[in-house]
Amino acid sequence: MSETTRNRLMLAIALVLAAIYLFPLYWMYITTLKSGSAMFATPPSFWPSDPQWSTYAYVWESRNLARYMGNSLIIAVGAVTVITLLGTGCAYVLARYRNGWVDVGLFLILMLQVLPASLMITPIFVGFSQIGLLDYPRLAVIIAIAAKAMPFFVVLVRATFMSVPMELEEAALVDGNSRVGAFFHIVLPLARNGILVSAILIFMQAFGEFVYSKSIIQAVEYQPASVGLNSFMGPNTNEWNNIMAFATIYVTPILAVFVLLQRRIVSGLTSGALK
Amino acid sequence: MRKIISSLTDGRGFDIGLVALPLGFLFLMSGLPLLYNVLMSFQEVDMFSLGSFVRPFVGFSNYVALFSEPETWPIFANTAIFVTASIAGQFALGFGLALFFWVNFPGASWLRGLFLVSWVMPGLVVGAVWNWMLSGDFGVINFLLRESGIISGNIFWRSDPSYALWAVILANIWLGTSFNMILLSVGLSSIPDDLFEAAELDGANVWQRFYTITLPMMRSSIGAIVSLGLIFTLQQFDLFAAITSGGPNNASNVAQYWAWDLSFRQYDFARGATISVIMIVFVMFASVVYVRSTKQEVRG
Repeated sequence: MSETTRNRLMLAIALVLAAIYLFPLYWMYITTLKSGSAMFATPPSFWPSDPQWSTYAYVWESRNLARYMGNSLIIAVGAVTVITLLGTGCAYVLARYRNGWVDVGLFLILMLQVLPASLMITPIFVGFSQIGLLDYPRLAVIIAIAAKAMPFFVVLVRATFMSVPMELEEAALVDGNSRVGAFFHIVLPLARNGILVSAILIFMQAFGEFVYSKSIIQAVEYQPASVGLNSFMGPNTNEWNNIMAFATIYVTPILAVFVLLQRRIVSGLTSGALK
Repeated sequence: MRKIISSLTDGRGFDIGLVALPLGFLFLMSGLPLLYNVLMSFQEVDMFSLGSFVRPFVGFSNYVALFSEPETWPIFANTAIFVTASIAGQFALGFGLALFFWVNFPGASWLRGLFLVSWVMPGLVVGAVWNWMLSGDFGVINFLLRESGIISGNIFWRSDPSYALWAVILANIWLGTSFNMILLSVGLSSIPDDLFEAAELDGANVWQRFYTITLPMMRSSIGAIVSLGLIFTLQQFDLFAAITSGGPNNASNVAQYWAWDLSFRQYDFARGATISVIMIVFVMFASVVYVRSTKQEVRG
């Protein structure tokens, strides 16, 4: 078997595997285009004969998706801002030094990274209600998400800072820069890409966050899309085309960002999780 | 004063400031809740004492009461099944895919990365899609199983007590397989090629090479990935909320969902905190294993 035939064969198998694996995603998109009766047809059609594009507009209006998406965006942007501002410096220091204190700090951060949100929400909710933070529900969720996701960000960004040669910073110091100057003019620009990719990963997480929002935000006008989707799915619902349209509108921006930046996101993720 | 400012811009103070602020934030927002959780598990908490810090101290009676409930052990057993089956499925499928994509062909790395969409999607969306695909009468999974002759009648995945947990496991395996695959690919690509060439020259066949080179060389990656899998499956909440809500009759309930359900559905915060403490101890144990298996890398 020649090299090209082998490559083509492998590619064909890989495409089939990807198609099988991504079938749930395809099924989500295809369901949104079906009418109420086509959805419950037996056998189900795997290609819509009569695509119903109006479902999107209908769901957008009737479920008030603009508000849900806006809240998701506010929460995600807020959490990413807090995490990036606080986490970047922390990651830098933890990457620059090697001593017992750094090991202890890293260990604590790795420990905090693993606490499940659904278990931490009980004390967070009670504590927040006691200090009155529940009156600002979106802010409370932003803080809770920031505390949950920051360790992950620190671990990822630390890997980036480790790859910035220390000699460059030392050279800047010799040339008369202060530590602050060297950090902002030399180290940060060099680590920019890694920080950006990590921030995007955090953004995706925060955009899809559910437990904290569901528990903390009672008022429907402050709820993000994840909570909206959850309350749309009643136990005996049969509006699956509308629910899938909701899910599609919610998830497509994330998927678009991911497909565009796929290579960078994957390499950023793997450098942090294993190294 | 000047000395402090110059230290902040140009000395130790700069580093300490950078690291103290985030660590302080983490301590306030993660560390304190953790301790508060332990405290609450020893207290009597109800809707009236929710707002005050002084509550009756009840010792271990929350723990005793918890383990005398009839549903406690079945739910912990469900948690064990959920974790074991999810990790086994994710790891086996992920390893298979990683080995497949390890063979280099044009487009391999791009296609491999595409699999990760299952992992970046919001858990609620994954849950919604699987909920629809697994629905009893009109679900596409039942249709495919029927057509291929595996089942004769429809399976009611979400409402049949013997299938409800497996419905969530199925969705969770789908969600986590790609992440396992990506991390295992990294481990595979770090094995030096000349080891395989040498083994091939010595006449080792594919299986022998797999058992004597690939597996031993992957040992630390596998340890890290399995413990990461344990951490991630114990964090899984969204799929339960989206597919079964723990029902029917707790048949698909697991500890991490139960803790939330007790606190926020039944307003029994003390009981919720008690389960949280027990589970967090488990997760901590898993993360120590994880940190140990990546220790060389963490130290650099």
